[in-house]
Amino acid sequence: MNDIGGGSVLRRRPDVRFRVIDEEGVVVRQSAGEVLVLNDLGTRILAMADGLTPLARWIDSLLGEFDVERAQLERDVVAFAEELVAQGLLEPLPAAAPAAAAGAPGSGGGGR
Amino acid sequence: MSFGARFLCHPEGFPQRQAGDAWGDRELTLDLPGGPYRVLGLSAAQDAGVRATFPGSLDAGAASGADGGGSPGAAAIPILLLRRAAGDFLPVDVRGWEYGLDFDWSPAAVRLAGLGLVGRLDWLPDRPGMEGALWTPEDGGERFPGVFENFLRVLVAYRLLELGGAVLHSAGVVKDGAAFLFLGRSGAGKTTVARLSLAQGADVLSDDLNAVIAAGSGTAVGSGTAAGWGAAGASRVAGAADTTATATTAGCAVLKLPFTGDLGERRAVRPPVPLGGLLRLEQAEADALVPLSRAETLACLLACTPFVNRDPHRRERLEQVLLALAAAAAPHAYTLRFSLHGGFWSIIKRK
Repeated sequence: MNDIGGGSVLRRRPDVRFRVIDEEGVVVRQSAGEVLVLNDLGTRILAMADGLTPLARWIDSLLGEFDVERAQLERDVVAFAEELVAQGLLEPLPAAAPAAAAGAPGSGGGGR
Repeated sequence: MSFGARFLCHPEGFPQRQAGDAWGDRELTLDLPGGPYRVLGLSAAQDAGVRATFPGSLDAGAASGADGGGSPGAAAIPILLLRRAAGDFLPVDVRGWEYGLDFDWSPAAVRLAGLGLVGRLDWLPDRPGMEGALWTPEDGGERFPGVFENFLRVLVAYRLLELGGAVLHSAGVVKDGAAFLFLGRSGAGKTTVARLSLAQGADVLSDDLNAVIAAGSGTAVGSGTAAGWGAAGASRVAGAADTTATATTAGCAVLKLPFTGDLGERRAVRPPVPLGGLLRLEQAEADALVPLSRAETLACLLACTPFVNRDPHRRERLEQVLLALAAAAAPHAYTLRFSLHGGFWSIIKRK
């Protein structure tokens, strides 16, 4: 289990690309040829995992979009982020690494 | 594990270009979607092996003893057959092993390695088109047709992608004049569905790989007549510049490939068949159809495009083609929950 919390910074793995179609996310792990469909929350999380923005800021953004208590949203987002890490779609960055991650090749790859 | 290390003693010695010693001087032309494909450098035994494996796909000129030239108006895709020493390949214990080729991708080429197989696909720098080369130690015999088919499957998949189509892991079944593609990877039930469909009087194109051309992809198919389909010049999937072709903008077309699993007649040729529906297979206790969203359809298609779906240099192209297909097929894309009772055709018909 990854120790993910409000201060965590995550980014999409280099071989992950995704696109949004009708509010659903189609996510491809290129190296494995695996494809997933994510709901709107999963899609938003994947889009925000830019290797710069800490998870707590995701919560701030999402609070305006979903009718839910902050504590509940935080639990859901952390659980979802952990699941995406476990599935090899996201990777956590060390606390001091976000700035270096900004120029990481292939860390974008999607979000269109 | 690095590219080729599963199969080759010296993967670092992989050919840098398409050159080497040809097996022989035989040539033949295969009339397959995306082609014609002109196979050069065959030995007599290899020539016989290809003819026996793909009798329905031999170009008319080649079959009649002519020079085997490509279809008029279409540049043939060359495939060179070259020698490779058996000692260059590692012994592989294939018991209980699921075979998959090794790939290495770059913008201008795809390299592949497998059992008795070293191959390259190269895109031409100065004009549209591509060419393939297959190095093998197999001079005919039992193993050669499998080696050649494995290479050809990859080449056709890439060629169709280039032309706006796709090869899909699917069972292709024709019923009432429309082709239904039952999508799924190994173990999903493609052969089972094909068998159940055969029992109900349907025709099976292939229970493993079928080709599809998306509406709006800018791609066209041949004239679609039964006679024309097998003849030189009519079977290829051609680019927009092909003046003999009929555009399929009104819908999508399914093209038969001679690549089958346990079912499907690889000898027969067929005209393109309008696409009737895309059905993602899911085994269940009872039969049901559940509509797929466009995102789910795209995801299913991406998962079912072998070889090309892991290529990072052609992913944009693949997504464009499959998005067009998903959009065109949207009213007819479902998850098919099917039982072994074979009653699924009755609910498909109702839709």
